[in-house]
Amino acid sequence: MSHLSLLLDLQPAAWHDPTQSLQFSTFLAHILVFLNAHLAQKHENSLAIFGAFPGKSIMLYSSIDQTKPADRRVQPDPNWYQPFKTLDAALTERIREEMPQPSTSSEAEELPVALVGALAKALCCKIIQATKVEAPSDTPVVMPESRILIVSVSPDAAASYIPLMNSIFSAQKLKVVIDVCKIYGPDTTFLQQAAYLTGGSYIRVEKHESLLQYLMMCFLQPPSVRSLLAVPTTDRVDFRAACFCHKDIIDAGYVCSVCLSSGSDCF
Amino acid sequence: MPPRRAQDHNYMAVDSDSDDSFIVEDGDGDFGADRTRGAKSKGKGKAVQKGKDKGKGKGKEQPYSWEASYTRSWDAVQEDEGGSLQTAVEDLLARGRRRRLLGPSTAIRRTIIRHLILILDLSASMLDKDMRPSRFDLTLEYARAFITEWFDQNPLGQIGIVGMRAGLGERVCDMSGNPQDVLKHISDRVKLEPNGEPSLQNAIEMARGSMSHLPSHSSREVLVIFGSLTSCDPGNIHDTLDACVKDRIRVSFVSLAAEMKICRDFCVKTGGTFGVALNEGHFKDLLFEGIPPPVQTGAAATAKTGPGNPAADLMQMGFPTRLPDTAPPALCVCHSELKTEGFLCPRCGAKLCDVPTDCDICGLMIVSSSHLARSYHHLFPVKPYEVLMDKSSLTITSPSVCHACALPFRESQQSKTPATAPAEGLSPLGRYRCPDCGNDFCADCDVFVHEVMHVCPSCHDPKPIPQPS
Ligand SMILES: [Zn+2]
Ligand SMILES: [Zn+2]
Ligand SMILES: [Zn+2]
Ligand SMILES: [Zn+2]
Repeated sequence: MSHLSLLLDLQPAAWHDPTQSLQFSTFLAHILVFLNAHLAQKHENSLAIFGAFPGKSIMLYSSIDQTKPADRRVQPDPNWYQPFKTLDAALTERIREEMPQPSTSSEAEELPVALVGALAKALCCKIIQATKVEAPSDTPVVMPESRILIVSVSPDAAASYIPLMNSIFSAQKLKVVIDVCKIYGPDTTFLQQAAYLTGGSYIRVEKHESLLQYLMMCFLQPPSVRSLLAVPTTDRVDFRAACFCHKDIIDAGYVCSVCLSSGSDCF
Repeated sequence: MPPRRAQDHNYMAVDSDSDDSFIVEDGDGDFGADRTRGAKSKGKGKAVQKGKDKGKGKGKEQPYSWEASYTRSWDAVQEDEGGSLQTAVEDLLARGRRRRLLGPSTAIRRTIIRHLILILDLSASMLDKDMRPSRFDLTLEYARAFITEWFDQNPLGQIGIVGMRAGLGERVCDMSGNPQDVLKHISDRVKLEPNGEPSLQNAIEMARGSMSHLPSHSSREVLVIFGSLTSCDPGNIHDTLDACVKDRIRVSFVSLAAEMKICRDFCVKTGGTFGVALNEGHFKDLLFEGIPPPVQTGAAATAKTGPGNPAADLMQMGFPTRLPDTAPPALCVCHSELKTEGFLCPRCGAKLCDVPTDCDICGLMIVSSSHLARSYHHLFPVKPYEVLMDKSSLTITSPSVCHACALPFRESQQSKTPATAPAEGLSPLGRYRCPDCGNDFCADCDVFVHEVMHVCPSCHDPKPIPQPS
């Protein structure tokens, strides 16, 4: 059994850009097929979806918590596997509710997305789930394999460096694998480090129309199976620090012994 | 024998203290209960005095291990009237919460670059079996756990190990920043078999010698696990003590036997901590107290500023490039093995197997930026969450679910007896509020955020920058 936490970077500015080759509706369709495939693999597989919006992070769907009112509105359909239908309806509805329109919110759109909050919430849910699994301890407890897939479209936010690294280290301690799927925007060094430190993959989608293929081939398998497959791993990781004064990337420099800020010759 | 008998009597009294508390509570005031109550108060007085003498802060006193009956760890957990363990678990949570509240909540200054020499007593007295299975085996086991945890919290630190055996100080492991290296040296218990007398002076002099070259911004610490009551020294140990004070070496002791004047002097004069282990669990607690980076006090900081030596200085460090698995193989400078993956020193281009380390060729300290980041949570801790005690702090718009895990709050059933709750630091509503972002979190998330993650899930959401007016 495996647990997947999906973090969707829902930056409206990136998704409503008409010049991009991947439209948001197509993207959502690909994601839903991928999630259905995850649920179809094993009956026990669980799922939690978090959305990182500008300035806030929201849990969009959780298969653990079935008390959400959104479930009640779904009519059973005999031609459709019920978990798929529940998921598809709930997720599309929640995104429609929460996604800010780019025209109406002009200044909120400038904010970077709350990726740290979404990641922290995903890790908190993992802990709660772990304590719940351990409760009926008559049978040997099988901890669900946990992983987090971050679908990212926005660049690094320098201000979130320390909290993001702290979250990554706690994921490392909990043996949660972090995978990163980068669709738009420049490579993010922070997420590359996240994938490297937790043993996940960082993959940049070059051909946007075949996003589904990337997702199915690289991110569908739980981490324990991946050693048997040739899954692309993180190769190049930038371990260099940024100079605190100019944000230049430096090879060698001076580090303050008290606050650990790094700097170049300008100190 | 008479004095010994008298002492025995006292210990009996102490022992009866813990056993009889049930009778006193359950009894209806009959003669038996009255009599034991008398014995109890007498035992208490003695116990308090004994605690004071040894300078221990533990509330619960225990007789020597060999006089105690066999302890069953499952007895320590008390069920409540309903036979549930809920209260016991909540009590544990509350204890952790109280301990956290004692800690500082603002950015504080800590020593991040640490150098520690762990001195292990390998003398014959370590074969005593008053701690199970034996002092020696227990020390090795805890030392391994200590080293693993220490490197996790102090990724830029280095540890060396010195043994005290047969009147000599014995170098078990050189200063190293790699936990695997250090653990390898104490994995073989046959090589460390205890024997002979310990020599504190020899061991501390050896530790001092191996730290003499260190720069001023790094801490120099010695932690001694001492199981003997004697020390067999070649010279005056007070000279060694003075030298340690002069070199600003912080000496801490964890004694397994009893307090010795010279050990306490070392700790008091060099600013270390001293503790006598009461039992196995207390031994581990004492040892693990040394893991979080020490707070740099004002006094220590100003002392360092003395002779043209600023308390904060800049260390030269290199940030390496990681070679991918597909790189052409080359020899590494540390093990002379042919390897494809590795790290390149930015100054001399040498290939290293693992970071953090000092470059073997040019001596530059090589760290990756993630090693620096690993220490940040010591410098910028998450503020403790406020415990919400009653419904008055809630408004209609307060969400009914935890902000982090989206599960509904569990209100405790005994909310009608609020008198017990405040002392324990537990919220009857199951809500804990972040003072910065004002969101409510459940008890599980509160513990996780403060003990593991060190990130408040909503404080770091990007906010619109307020326009200066
Ligand atoms: Zn600079
Ligand atoms: Zn070098
Ligand atoms: Zn929670
Ligand atoms: Zn907060």
